Amino acid sequence: MAEPAVVTDQFMALAERLTSFSKAVTTKAPIAQTPKQLVWTLNKAKLYRYVPVVPREKRHRVPLLLVFALMNRPYVLDLRPGHSFVEFMVQQGYDLYLLDWGSPGPEDKHLKFDDYTLEYMPRAIRKMKAIAESEDFSMLGWCIGAILATVYSALRPENGLRNLILLTAPLDFSHKQDITFAKWVDERFFDVDKVLAAVGNMPGEMIDYGARALKPVDNYVLNYLKLWDNLSNPQVVEAWKAMNTWVTDNVPLAGGAFRQLVVDLYRNDRLMRGEWIVRGERVNLSRIRANLLTVIAEADHITPPCQSESILSKVSSKDKELFRVSGGHIGIMAGSGAHRVTWPHIENWLGKRSQ
Amino acid sequence: MADKHAAKSKGKEKDGDPAAAFRTVRDTYLDAWSKTMVDAVNTEAYAKATGIMLDTYLSASAPFRENLEKVMVQALQQLSMPSRADFVSLAERLTNVEMKLDDLDAKLDHIEKLVTKRASAARRRKPAPAAPPVPEEAS
Repeated sequence: MAEPAVVTDQFMALAERLTSFSKAVTTKAPIAQTPKQLVWTLNKAKLYRYVPVVPREKRHRVPLLLVFALMNRPYVLDLRPGHSFVEFMVQQGYDLYLLDWGSPGPEDKHLKFDDYTLEYMPRAIRKMKAIAESEDFSMLGWCIGAILATVYSALRPENGLRNLILLTAPLDFSHKQDITFAKWVDERFFDVDKVLAAVGNMPGEMIDYGARALKPVDNYVLNYLKLWDNLSNPQVVEAWKAMNTWVTDNVPLAGGAFRQLVVDLYRNDRLMRGEWIVRGERVNLSRIRANLLTVIAEADHITPPCQSESILSKVSSKDKELFRVSGGHIGIMAGSGAHRVTWPHIENWLGKRSQ
Repeated sequence: MADKHAAKSKGKEKDGDPAAAFRTVRDTYLDAWSKTMVDAVNTEAYAKATGIMLDTYLSASAPFRENLEKVMVQALQQLSMPSRADFVSLAERLTNVEMKLDDLDAKLDHIEKLVTKRASAARRRKPAPAAPPVPEEAS
């Protein structure tokens, strides 16, 4: 039988671990620390310019705009110092801009992809071009941000877009058997109008539940077990806290945009079929002429690779590349290996095309 | 993720960690559970079940929600206070004004640039005029 002192020590150690665990789960990590300036706003949308650290003469001439998804905070691109794509690109000499969509309120429930791509993006891009004093620009879209970037590129191909980078872009919805979300929002089971009539905007918590429910054990059990097993490793704990801070910081999705996502894309695959009408204009992907880099996460459960591959055969770009990375939807850009694989590849591709 | 977890535990076992055997069993079980659940949520039956749950909740809560909204609007009207709909309409109008201001701002920027460009081009073309003679002071 164990000595009372040993039992007490073990109990104290367990109590200490529980305290550390609870602290890690309940406190927010400092995130998005790369210095930036607010240069433009419209409604809830904000355009930030990251303060350049490279002298003007050594910087790339073409500015880069980051467009993130509508229902998550964009600071996953600038998670924490030393592990930030934004910081990396600024250090590589890019004039970097970030379009933050903000959090839609009840007054924004009618906002659609039409508004984001034809009202907000053109104005933000106009401001960026004026500040950067460049007619050309590059654009990087991630997830739903990649849909926005693609639609904008197809509708306004003459507006100076030189390079287009799409990360885990859900564009092709034809492989319904491989897309879990497509099954969930099938019209036999999910009444999108009834949901939106009740909530207006799709609550961030519901979207977060949907994303987590794709891999319930990983997200609700293994994620916390990973933290528990690594409590004595401060690096792992810091990384976990930063990611948890981002994951739990949810943003609602404007009702109009959510409805389009479900009806036009998940159910009817209108973008890839060339039938999507955005404010009276048909989105014709063959009008995209910008240099194109498509990055696919091979283990992506949110946007399976089949959703991002076919865009290459639809565009008119002469310079196009498909880059596959082993990892998940977020891990390829914010995971521990991102700075060794994904970021250098993007920078190398873009650097050659930004002079 | 579950696979990685199991692999890590196996590594620790080799290092002589006494709890490694337990962890290996745990991770193998979790790995199997994870795969089963991924398959389960990817079925039509799951989609149907969640759809029914959501629909039931929405149908049950709709009358309460609608009544609460009606009562709230009436109460606010009685108190001569703006309702949510009034604020929404105001916010939409403000966004439209913001867009117009943004366009005006961009046009002004453009005009300013053109004027500055022309002025500097004119300055380059013509040498600066000589200073006018100073008139004699009236006595």
